[in-house]
Formats: sequence, structure tokens, C-alpha cells
Amino acid sequence: MSLNYVVVRLAQIVPTFFLIMVVIFVLVRLLPGDPTSAVLGIHATDEAVERINAELGLDRSIPVQFGLFFEHFLRGDLGDSIILKVPVMRLILERLPVTLFLTGFAALLAVILAVPMALVSAIRRDSLLDNTIRAGFQVGLSMPVFYIGIVLLTFLAAKLRWFPVGGFGQTFTDDIYHLFLPALTLALSLSAVLMRNLRSSLIDVLDAEYVDFARAKGLRNRLVLGRHVLRNALISTVALFGLNIGTLFGGAVITESVFAIPGIGRLLIDSIYGRDYPVIQGLTLVLAVLVSLVFLVTDLVQAALDPRVSHR
Amino acid sequence: MTRWLRALLACGLLFGLASTAEAVTRGGTLIYARYADSLFLDPVLNDANVDIWILTNIYDTLLQPTADGKDVVPGLATEYKMADDAKSLTLKLRPGIKFSDGSPITVNDVKWSLDRARNPKNGIWNFTLASIDSIETQGEDTVVLKLKNPDPTLVAALATFNSAILPQKPFEATPGATDEEKAKAFAEHPIGSGAFTFDSWQRGTELVIKRNPHYWQMGEDGKPLPYLDEVRFPVIPDDATRILKLQAGEVDGAELIPYARVAELKSDPNISMELYPSTKVQFITVNVRPTLNGKPNVLADPKVRQALNYAIDKNALAQVVTFGIGTPLVSFMSSATPLVDNHGPIYSYDVEKAKALLKEAGIAEGTEVSSIGLAGSADETAILSTIQQMWSAVGVKLTIEQLDNATRTARYRAGDFQMRVSLWTDDIADPSEITSYFAYFPNIESLHSGWQDKSVDDLFLKSQQEMDKAKRAEMYMTIQQKYVESAPIMFLYESPYPVALRKPVKGFVQIPLGNNIFSAAYVEK
Repeated sequence: MSLNYVVVRLAQIVPTFFLIMVVIFVLVRLLPGDPTSAVLGIHATDEAVERINAELGLDRSIPVQFGLFFEHFLRGDLGDSIILKVPVMRLILERLPVTLFLTGFAALLAVILAVPMALVSAIRRDSLLDNTIRAGFQVGLSMPVFYIGIVLLTFLAAKLRWFPVGGFGQTFTDDIYHLFLPALTLALSLSAVLMRNLRSSLIDVLDAEYVDFARAKGLRNRLVLGRHVLRNALISTVALFGLNIGTLFGGAVITESVFAIPGIGRLLIDSIYGRDYPVIQGLTLVLAVLVSLVFLVTDLVQAALDPRVSHR
Repeated sequence: MTRWLRALLACGLLFGLASTAEAVTRGGTLIYARYADSLFLDPVLNDANVDIWILTNIYDTLLQPTADGKDVVPGLATEYKMADDAKSLTLKLRPGIKFSDGSPITVNDVKWSLDRARNPKNGIWNFTLASIDSIETQGEDTVVLKLKNPDPTLVAALATFNSAILPQKPFEATPGATDEEKAKAFAEHPIGSGAFTFDSWQRGTELVIKRNPHYWQMGEDGKPLPYLDEVRFPVIPDDATRILKLQAGEVDGAELIPYARVAELKSDPNISMELYPSTKVQFITVNVRPTLNGKPNVLADPKVRQALNYAIDKNALAQVVTFGIGTPLVSFMSSATPLVDNHGPIYSYDVEKAKALLKEAGIAEGTEVSSIGLAGSADETAILSTIQQMWSAVGVKLTIEQLDNATRTARYRAGDFQMRVSLWTDDIADPSEITSYFAYFPNIESLHSGWQDKSVDDLFLKSQQEMDKAKRAEMYMTIQQKYVESAPIMFLYESPYPVALRKPVKGFVQIPLGNNIFSAAYVEK
């Protein structure tokens, strides 16, 4: 893996990013409705809607609006929220860390849950233990995120009082305590996907001849599993993990709502309903960058696990 | 022996009375969970209930609405007098009143605030003060509003959130080129005159207001209000989570309890499940234009609209959607709106009458009508699917179209709908606001329905200048009767504001206009 590879991959993000910017800018304006009437609702008089839309510059043509937006963007200014009347950048900076913390925590929990369980399942293939683990993860996969959230909240928080009912902490340890249930909620479905994938690739690898050879060399079981089996089995799971980070952001939208967590998920939903164009644009760009970076990191990790990747 | 017993009982009673008089608890924090955060804390430029319903705690008005929402009482002004010719209103400021930063509230602040609020370029509420021609100050405590025409709604308008008094100097000293830019910056750390003062705000997370030490109103214990040191408003959008938080004692109050959960919370010994009377009316707007998208519109015929109104069992609908908490509408306005024509139910369920009217109108069996419902709204889905069944009994087929809010509003404003489910809450303690939207065509074409009755338009304009209360009331009777008879809406039900509080929380009220009033609230120890 060379530095060149990283630079090329980074450079590939730029056109993707610009394309997303244009598409989102045009798309939100093509949606029926406008921010002023969405907010005013039944109180919207024609006079008020026209006056406020003109103040916001929404009466100009889309190319002119995009030109202005792009000019501001180059100066690092994403504009002001139409509904919340504060700079979009400030909103994102306030809320993004919360969502990153939540999704990062969830990803970590998903791995902690999936990897050992997949190992046990693969080694004890078709045993009662394997079937129980698979059935358990199947339940996690099939239950909707909001339902898992409510069930966890009702029993672990409201009844047993082990955790707070939603909200966000003030310090790092407080955050971990507050975000454990929501992260677990998010992690359950991802861990099920990871576990199933990892289990089947582990089984494939366990049957491979080089594993038999490693065992024949007299290597200890732990070494065989760690150095040969897991490393090779993880390649496809890492790709799957990266692809699912995007889904994790999607799940965060619902989880943030159920657990009253002030992240960007809720902000995005509210701004779409309210047609708050600058916020939608800003958030989509940030999410696009994040997902692109996650894909990049995934590729790099894959390349580290499997040197053939960077030479493709 | 009996004498002793009586004496003992009397002592006990006295002691009991004395302890209730002393019962208010001072200090402490009240945590009130809201379903959505405020958007913009400026009384003039805001446009949503999430702001309106909280603003008056921070910004006081010259007059205040009463708890039943039907009248006004003195606020920052101790008295007001309308001139005999009804062309001017004189207000006297309360002596010694101060803003939350300790600076005095002067007549200049009042003039400036009202001038800003009535500026037609500012926000969407300036219509409430449109009758003011100019504002004069006299001496240190008198403000005279010179009027273009007599205005019976002005007194109620001065008790409405947009007429709040703000400090002129700090506002004008705020950076910004326009009023809106200044307002944006000022609303980050507003200074007001309400019972509470702004403390901090993490958008989407929590708004905190603290006791205003300069507030003028006295509490039951003879000391200034408010009793509480602090009110915190965490934002918890999920209904189930908001209720769980309340049950776990992590919050003291939770707003907008789903009606489905009211009975359960009523039986919870630790919770007071309050249903505050509201001006909230649920109805279906009907497009009455003769053609829609080039096709003839059956709902243009009043007989068909009347028939469909008769074909809705409002009690059953209120049972299904609000679990029996809502009550059928008696007019287009709520029974808590002043001058409502409250002569009992209208369009009581009558299938035979509905069928007869449809026959008279020449409506064939299987005629199709359609209504827009808000996608994702459990209430609107329940309303429309219930009505769908009810109308099928009279041979009318209802198609339901679910749309998101912005699309729905765009279609509504363009008149591109046959029916849509709607909700309304009054913002001012007067029937003129709702009437101008529902029945007075020139404003928004009677809720974009296209319905117009010239006699109603004329009567409304006259009522807007009629200072004789009895005559004005009579005009409103006629307007409501004509409106109900022609039925440009489907009259559904009105419903209260469901708020759940922990038992020790006392003195809180949400008035029919929706304002959450914390000035006399306290948490019993």
C-alpha cells in the first residue's frame, strides 16, 4: 500500500462531493413546497410567503442560487438555517460529535458482539450453541430499531433503572453511560449482519487446505485461528462493515429520536420536513464526506489485511 | 365532650387552612419535557407554536390573557381606557417595572416595541395591530395608541405574544444591518420582562429559563413571582420516551401526551394527568370550487357538503381518534373562543338525512371524493380511515392521499386538493383571527377552499369596527350560522391539551391559546 494509493483515493472524493452538492441543491428545490409555507402552514398568506421567500432569495433562479451558495461555500460558509436562524456550520458542529460518538460506539459494540460469537458459532458449527447464537442474532436483525429501543428503555432504564431514560451526558464517562442503550440498539442489527457474514467466511476458511497445513505444522489452535483463519475471514466482513456504516447513520436518525439524543439525524429529518434548504445541503455534504472517508478507511484496512487490494 | 370535639375540629380545620395558605413552595427547578424545541425566540418574527407557547414566560405584555383565554387582565399596564369615539386607547404603565437586566421599562420601550410589532414588513403577526395609526407617549407612564378606525380586537391584541415589550436600547445596540439580523442576534440572549429570564439554550437539546428577580407580579405568599428558580425544557420528541422519563421521575412534566395513553396515566398514583381546555379544532377543509383540475367538483354543492357532514358520527370519531377525550364541534371555532355560537352539536349523525340530501343533489352511488392526510400522522390516518367507512354507508367512496407537510401545504395553497385534514389553534383571545382565515374570503380564500359569502365578508369587516359588544356578538352569531349552514368544512371535534405532571407539581397552566404559564408553578416539597 503506497501513499500514492491514498492520495488517488482522496482525490476521487472531490468530484463525488461536487456531484452530490449539485444534485442535492437542485433536488431539494424541485421538491414540492417551500420553507416559508412549510413553517407558516395554515397561517401562510400569499403576501407573507412571497415577501419572506424574496428576503431569503428563494425567488431567484436555481443556477443563480447555486452560484451564490457555491461562492459562500468556498469561503467556508454554509449559510444560515431558514427555520432556526443560526449558521448551519454551528448547528453541525454542535450536533455532529454526538452522532459520531453514537455511531462509533455502536460500531464498536457491534464488533465486540459479532466477532467472538461468529468464532464460537463457526468452530462449533451446527451445535446447539451455534443454533442458539444464530437464532438470537436473527431476532436482532428482524426487529425494527425503534422497537428494540423502546423495549430496552422500558426494561433496562424505566423498570430496572440501570440506565438513564435517554438524553446525553456532560462528560466522557457520562456519555458512555447515557449512550450505551442507544448504541446497543443500533449495534444489534449491524452485529447480526456482521456475525452471519463472518461465520460463513470463517467456515470457508476453516475448511481451506492452508489451515489444515498450519495445523499439521503443529501450530497451536489460538495461533491458527488468529493468524490464519480470522485474518483471512475478516476481509469480506471489513468490506461489509464499511458499507453498513452508512446504514448505521440511517439507523441513528430513529435511535436519536427514541432516546432524545441531539444528533444530526433528528436535525436532518426536521430540516427535510421543513424544507430548510441550507441545513439539508450542509448535512448531506457532511454525511457524504463522512461516508467517503469510511469507505476509504475500509479500503485501507482491507489493503492491510490483503495486500492484493492496493495493487488492483 | 361534644364541645371539646367541636373545638378540636375547628382547630384542625384552621390549621388545615393555614397550611394550605402556606403551601406554596419557593425555589427549585421544574423540568418540563417538550416534544419539539423552540425555533426563534423573537416575539415579532417567530411563526410557530413551539415559540409562541413559551415566549410569554420571557417577554411580558401590557395586558395578559386570563386563564380561560376569554378575557384580559392588567399586565405591564395597570389600566387601559378606550376613548369615547373609540379612536384612541390610553394605557398607564405599572410603576417601577423593570426588564430582566434591571433597567426600567419606559414608555419609549413600549412605543418602540409596538411600532416594531405593527410594522407590515415584520413577520406575519402585524395584522393584530393594523388599526394603530400612531403611538404617542405622555409623561413617564402614559402611552396613547391613536387608531385609524375603532378596533374591538385591540385590547386582546395587546395581550398577545407579538405585542410583548422589549428593551429598545440593547436591541438596537445588537449587531446587524436589518431588524431581522438584530433579532437573530438578540434572540441568542434575549432580555425581556416576563416572570423568567433566558439562561441558556442548546438547540434541539434543552432551553433553560431562570427566575426574573425584577418581575412585578405578587405570589400567594405576598412576595414576587415566580416561585420557581428555574425551568428546564429538555426536548424529547418520542412520545413513549417522554412518558417513560416522567414515570421514572427524571422530568416533572411532559406535554402532548398521546390520547391513547391518557387513561393509563390518569390511573398512575404519581401523576396528575391534566386536560387543559384548548382552542384546538380538528376539521376537514373542503374545496368548493365548481371544477377541480378541469373536472366538475361534487363538493361545490352545499347539499353534498351538508350530507357528508351528517354522515360523520362525530362522537364515534372522537372515540376512535381521541379515545373519547375530544368532543364534537359546535361551530367552526372552539367552545373556548370568545363569541362562539355554542348551541350544542351541529350536524348530528343522521344517515337517512345524508342519503336524502345526496339524492336531492343527484349524487350517484359510488361517487368518489378524495382527501389529503399528513403522512405519518396517526391521528389523520385514523380520522380519514374512520370517515371512509362512515361515508361508504351513504354510498360515497373516499380516497386517501398521504403527503408530507411541505407538499401538502404547497398543494393546499395552490387550491390543488379536494379535501384536507386540518388543525387550528387560536393565537389571540378573540374570534377575529380564526374568522379571517376560515370565513373571510379576501385573506386566504377561506382556507383556500374558494368559499365566499359576500354577506359574511361584509359582516366580518363591520364586526372589526363594532365597539358595541352585544352587536358584535350578534354579528358573530350570524357569521357562524351562515358558515355552518353552507359547510365549507367537515366539522369534526375539538380536544384539550393533554399534559402529564408529577403529583407535586402545582400551579402550572396551559391556557386555551396554548401558552404554557410557569409564573405561578411550583414543586411541592
